[in-house]
Amino acid sequence: MRTRSLWPYLLIAPTVAGGAFLLLYPLLKAAVISLQHFRMGELIRGGAALVGLENYQELLGGAEFWQVLLRTVVWTAINVALIVALATGVALMLVRLRRGMRLALMSALALAWATPVIAATTIFQWLFQSELGVVNWLLTTLGLDSFDGYTWFANGNATFAVLVILVVWQSVPFAALTLYAGLTTIPAELYESARIDGGTGWQVFWKITVPILRQLFALITALEVIWVAKCFPQIWVLSQGGPGDATTTLPIYAFKVARVLHRYDLGSAVALLTVGILAVALISNLRRMVRS
Amino acid sequence: MKHRLTAAVAALALAAAACGSGASTGTPASSGPVKLAVWIMDGSVTQDLLKTFETRYETAHPKTDLDLQIQAWDGIGERVTAALASTDAPDVIEVGNTQVAQYAASGGVTDLTAKVADLKGEDWLPGLAQPGNIDGKQYGVPWYAANRVVVYNKDLFAKAGIDTPPKTRDEWLNVTEKLNKGGNQGIYLPGQTWYALAGFVWDEGGDLAVQEGGKWRGALDTPQALAGMDFYKRLQALGKGPKEADEANPPQHEVFAQGKTAQIVAVPGIAARVLEVEPKLKGKMGFFPIPGKTADKPGAVFTGGSDLIIPAAAKHQDEAYEVIKELAGEQFQTELAKAMSFVPNRTSLASVLSGDEGTAAMAVGAAVGRATPNTPNWAAVEATSVIKQYMTAVLTGADPATEAKKVSESITTTLNSGS
Amino acid sequence: MRRLTLNAAALAVLLVTIFPVYWMFLTAFKPTRDIQSETPTFWPTAPTLEHFATAVSAPGFWTFWRNSLLVTVVAVLLALVVALLAAFAVARMRWRGRGAFVVMVFAAQMAPWEALLVPVFIIARDTELLDSLAMLTGVYFMITLPFTIVALRGFLAAIPPELEEAAQVDGCSRLVAFRRVVFPLLAPGLMATSLFGFITAWNEFAFVNVLIIKDHDKRTLPVWLSSFRDVFGTDWGATMAAASLFALPALLLFLFLQRRVGTGMTAGAIKG
Repeated sequence: MRTRSLWPYLLIAPTVAGGAFLLLYPLLKAAVISLQHFRMGELIRGGAALVGLENYQELLGGAEFWQVLLRTVVWTAINVALIVALATGVALMLVRLRRGMRLALMSALALAWATPVIAATTIFQWLFQSELGVVNWLLTTLGLDSFDGYTWFANGNATFAVLVILVVWQSVPFAALTLYAGLTTIPAELYESARIDGGTGWQVFWKITVPILRQLFALITALEVIWVAKCFPQIWVLSQGGPGDATTTLPIYAFKVARVLHRYDLGSAVALLTVGILAVALISNLRRMVRS
Repeated sequence: MKHRLTAAVAALALAAAACGSGASTGTPASSGPVKLAVWIMDGSVTQDLLKTFETRYETAHPKTDLDLQIQAWDGIGERVTAALASTDAPDVIEVGNTQVAQYAASGGVTDLTAKVADLKGEDWLPGLAQPGNIDGKQYGVPWYAANRVVVYNKDLFAKAGIDTPPKTRDEWLNVTEKLNKGGNQGIYLPGQTWYALAGFVWDEGGDLAVQEGGKWRGALDTPQALAGMDFYKRLQALGKGPKEADEANPPQHEVFAQGKTAQIVAVPGIAARVLEVEPKLKGKMGFFPIPGKTADKPGAVFTGGSDLIIPAAAKHQDEAYEVIKELAGEQFQTELAKAMSFVPNRTSLASVLSGDEGTAAMAVGAAVGRATPNTPNWAAVEATSVIKQYMTAVLTGADPATEAKKVSESITTTLNSGS
Repeated sequence: MRRLTLNAAALAVLLVTIFPVYWMFLTAFKPTRDIQSETPTFWPTAPTLEHFATAVSAPGFWTFWRNSLLVTVVAVLLALVVALLAAFAVARMRWRGRGAFVVMVFAAQMAPWEALLVPVFIIARDTELLDSLAMLTGVYFMITLPFTIVALRGFLAAIPPELEEAAQVDGCSRLVAFRRVVFPLLAPGLMATSLFGFITAWNEFAFVNVLIIKDHDKRTLPVWLSSFRDVFGTDWGATMAAASLFALPALLLFLFLQRRVGTGMTAGAIKG
């Protein structure tokens, strides 16, 4: 029923208007700023001068941006791989559990998911405290004496690891619950016939489960890529991108450049490049999903 | 408030319409008192003194309603910038003396040159007046200064049989080693107390950065600076100071208040904060100047402190100036110096501190007080905390020469980037 | 045997999942001497409310808490209404530009919000919306809107259009048909989506620092909590109590919506 009426356009009007004023307009402003000499003085006095692509040249010509970009890719890959793998495992487990245990596990997952990021980040700071943190106590009790008083947040790789644990812990519940819901829609007969044909659990998973849920996997992966690549409050509160640059991903870099160094021009350029990169990586994927 | 919000939200749904509507906050009513927002940094003034000041000021100026807001250090740079760039800024802001140059240079601060005489600026402390002065115009009004000394626990010193404070670095290391026993820390020196490092570097004849032919160059890789870092490392090892943190995380006055720490490097005013946590330490805290290389010359120290500014965007310029005049005036300066053990903003007021053990120690150091490199870009070096990271790297075992070269290059880049 | 391994594994996952949250509440209720002991205790031996008292009596706590709640609830409700309209257009009508609109909504989720702080600040300044909770609400509304549309579109698509059409045949107008038939079926989806929006907006803190400048009393809870060291120093008991109180609204909302969220989330996501 292709309506020629104005209704659909009226219905999306608030969304379009909100997006235009609060998203598109700032984005355009950021684009303009990225082409200007725009620092603290210009923010306060106004009157920024156009400098063309100078900021982009500075970014792309320096080594730092590429390091940060590489780190962001590694960060995203590690997290998304872990999230999808663990979530799949938990979802498969949920299907097989008896009712009581299943409800308990689902509630636990939902509880972790509903814990606000700032609260969760604060908890993790406390868990990984060097002197009285429970993680060091646990590792020392298990016989790993080198963790006695170990300072997690002094070492780049250790901080990176803590952040991965935090983000994975927060993200698995959503993905697992969604995949579990998907699994329950697969008719049991399909599995039975596969088993009769002599398929092992592993084969059944790859031959039946994955193809049927391909769309769902694609959606979850796409959403997680966006969320993990853009992840900001966890990193900022926990490590502020440090120690050194060990946990500086693109959003942290953009924020640091703009807010700490007052290089708003450079920060805007980073932001626009981030959008560009994400768009290239995902748009075709999204398009396909939206079409179907 | 509810109504305004509902209205504004409705407007937002229609998006474009929201441009015109919205809340009209902060516009003064034509009658009633003028509300002045004053930003004071956390730790600058005790709550009691602030309260006293507010009551007294409002009694003397019935048309003014003072809103004294304590600002957390976390994220303060962004907030001050946003405030200066806004259309309705706070009326008075306290700004650290190493930060004031960049704000003044940005054009968002009111020029107070005409008021210098009225404020008796002829004998202002140079360490506070100079950073607030750009191209001969005075933007920052000196408020207070302080420099670091060694604060020690008298009980722990007595227990270790130490009756005279150390006078030279070697003595200091010996004494600290003696104190670092039986569950006590000889000194609690976090790995990132870079003001202390700066002092050691200056003692050796080095500097943080030097200006050569109009260009700045980071100088932490000179042999003198490396010697300063080496001393820091030896001293830091005589206690449990975290190598990856600065003195604010965790707050070192809380660590000291637990009574198992023999020494900390801090401004004498910290004694008041220690007592807030642990009143039993009253009378148990001693102070001595940071020891120098030889007994005849105390260690060089960084002169820290604050200036007061009026944002150009503040709506009540005249009233704001009246507040500054009071805060920088003799009566409040005397009270502040006594309550916080700070150095008052004018040299002629220095006598109010005589008889105070902490400030006596501070005065010795102040004679050889130094400042950070005098350029608006220095604030950016502090903001990126490259020096702190350099210190952590060296303390956790990295090669000092390599790390020093890296940090110096980074400082050079930051100082020479235009603003 | 297999069942035993399965249950053991499930138990392990459950423990790992729940431990951090449990540890937060536990620490908040522990007396300070237990928190500072070398060997941790894993259950409350002498629960105390002192840390909650410290957290609650910290200056501004209730004001910040109330601001957060106000801003978040208004932003989420607004996003739900606006998203419902858009989702209906996308899921139930065919029109030129529909595909492009959906792609734009998906793409909007990629918006680099942290980097838009300065542009948003400038816009707020030029429209005199600094120091106003309305602007903050607007930004949170926009941050949550794209996901809300995507999710609601999924839920709507899961409801067969025939139901509405049948009602319309029976003489109901389209609006009445929607309200009587579709809306009840959509309720779980609305709730699940609102929970997501609530958590997102409840957490945000970067914008508060630049949009709320002079008016101290309009700050929100996350800003305060993210600088907890300035407030509580090394007092982890009070910090965890504050974090608990911060997490509470989201957790309560979740418990309240639990059953609906369970079914709702899935339907939405599958069709996503």
